[in-house]
Amino acid sequence: MSIKAKDRITKSLIYIAAGLMGAILITILGYILIKGLPGISLHFLTSDYENKTTYVTTYFYVDNEDNGQAGYIGNLDASLSWDAAKEEVVIMSIGTGSPLTKALDGSGNAYVIKKGDAVEKAGDINVKEELSENKSGTEIVSEIETAMETNTDGYMKLKIQREGGGILPMLVTTLYLILLSILIAGPIGVFAAIYLNEYAKPGKMTRFIQFAIENLAGIPSIIYGLFGSLFFVQVLKMRYSILAGACTMSIMLLPIIISTTKETLKSIPMTYRESSLGLGATKFQTIRKIVLPNAISGILVAILLSVGRIVGESAALLLTAGTVAQIPSALTGSGAAGATLTIKAYTLMKEQNDLTTACAIGIVLLAVIILLNLSIKLIARKLKRG
Amino acid sequence: MIKEREGQMKAEDVKQARKRDLTEKIVEKIFFICAFMGVLSVAAIIIFVFYKGIRPFVGENAYSVAAFLTGTKWAPRENVYGIFYMIVASLLGTGGAIVLGVPIGILTAVFLVYFAPPRLAALIHPAVELMAGIPSVLYGAFGLGVIVPLIMKISPEVQGQSLLAVIIVLAIMVLPTIVSLSETALLAVPKKYGEASIGLGATKIQTIFKVDLVAAKSGLMSAVVLGIGRAIGETMAVMMIAGNPASGLPNSIWSMVRPLTTNIAMEMSYASGTQVNMLFATGVVLFIFIMIVNVTLSRMTRKAGEKA
Repeated sequence: MSIKAKDRITKSLIYIAAGLMGAILITILGYILIKGLPGISLHFLTSDYENKTTYVTTYFYVDNEDNGQAGYIGNLDASLSWDAAKEEVVIMSIGTGSPLTKALDGSGNAYVIKKGDAVEKAGDINVKEELSENKSGTEIVSEIETAMETNTDGYMKLKIQREGGGILPMLVTTLYLILLSILIAGPIGVFAAIYLNEYAKPGKMTRFIQFAIENLAGIPSIIYGLFGSLFFVQVLKMRYSILAGACTMSIMLLPIIISTTKETLKSIPMTYRESSLGLGATKFQTIRKIVLPNAISGILVAILLSVGRIVGESAALLLTAGTVAQIPSALTGSGAAGATLTIKAYTLMKEQNDLTTACAIGIVLLAVIILLNLSIKLIARKLKRG
Repeated sequence: MIKEREGQMKAEDVKQARKRDLTEKIVEKIFFICAFMGVLSVAAIIIFVFYKGIRPFVGENAYSVAAFLTGTKWAPRENVYGIFYMIVASLLGTGGAIVLGVPIGILTAVFLVYFAPPRLAALIHPAVELMAGIPSVLYGAFGLGVIVPLIMKISPEVQGQSLLAVIIVLAIMVLPTIVSLSETALLAVPKKYGEASIGLGATKIQTIFKVDLVAAKSGLMSAVVLGIGRAIGETMAVMMIAGNPASGLPNSIWSMVRPLTTNIAMEMSYASGTQVNMLFATGVVLFIFIMIVNVTLSRMTRKAGEKA
């Protein structure tokens, strides 16, 4: 074969490889978008995951004219309607001054009833019982309407069911985990980088520390998960909790934060430090007033990289922060567990075979990651310009 | 009087200087402790994981290490713990991913450095970064939703979860690592090497493959080793597409497999007693593989550093 023919074949192989790479990425993104897009809605982003039933008391203190619309309740300034698909009485609309927005729950706390909530019971009327007596949906709605409009007590007890299926708890848990992990790993990582770049003298100790940090970067997340589930969850008795998850994540983040910060510190010209020291400032003063302010954008990049890592992490958090879809109410102990978005996407696929919702979460994750990558680019560009 | 004052000031200065020195020393200690946290973390991870993982093999009712390492059946209920078939699965999955991913990755890097028009390169770079940032769970979703059904169509077995699915998804996952590190390595090759080669009459392709890629060898090797590390430690994506059988060596690329990582992640949440310790033992084996990869990598980078 001639050299020319050989070259041509190799060259086409190179183009094929690059094309394949692009095709793979487009397929992955396309699959997640197409599969997940039907699941994305405002309800999905802002609702609880589990259905939630609450008993509330509402008072009747407005006195609007009944506008004649079926289901409109004048003294509540709200309207009800029958959802035939779900077989539920649903709150269709709520006026801004409606008493429903100031209802009280069982322990006397304010409970804001929202559009879309279902009324399961209103006073003595139980929707399910009425249904079993073969009443039609519209009949039930008008029954509730009459009962409310002729109410003389001035208040009525309602059983409200709010539909779940949203990812709000996972969003909040992810946010908590990000804050906690960076609160722990941020200072440690930055200080470690300062030590390694500003104080450490080349020698055995420094090499040893470097070696350890390099190794830390190579340990797979499942091993971090094993360690976290033993050390933080059991030995330190944190149970499955966001703090156990954040502590485990913090160790994982150290190498990223240290190496990124160190690179930035290295790029700060030596003359800056020398002039500061020459003017009589101490080393710590120089670091605080000259080195750190010049390293801020690099530290920001380190933090953004860490956020990306936390958002995408699954194996380590699965074994330390748990898989419950709830907003954690404590740092450790019971009620402190919480699933992040990624973990929930995983459990949805594995336990419920629900690829659609998993991909909808995937879209949210991809959006976050693209946003992070863009910000990092922007900061890097600014840095280059100086 | 003036003299007296001077004396006072000096005493105060000395006091202040001492205080300052003390702060400086304390601050340095704090920074050092933070840096040392890396060492402590590695030590703690090794001690805790190994302590727990070695326990089933010592003392009374000790499980035989040989049976553990050579067994091909994992049945906690029958007190049978063999992980040989998982080691094989991990190695085959990783090996396959490297065989498939490395050529594509390096060729893509070659494209980026020597052929891509700047505009196209500016498009591909963020794409590679995005690929590196996609969470492994989403690669799992992609594998489960796209790769597994495709394999099911052509596979002689009934299920699509298979060694082949693992290899394909892992190959995709190591691509960004290999592309970006290879690109860096190729960019570091001095331009004059290529110029000399072209000047001697070699074609562009010959120059790239016989001069540039050879000069970038150590960087390319690090890319491959890092890819191996990523593939062997990958858990969540693999867990969904491997099939995870309870026993048996894979006899073809269509067979279901159970890599070491997925064994841990699958059972850890509900395991108790000996089973937990055995999962830690699985972790120890995985850790040893990773250590081999890490040490190889740091040897290679050190060598490359010495050369430069």
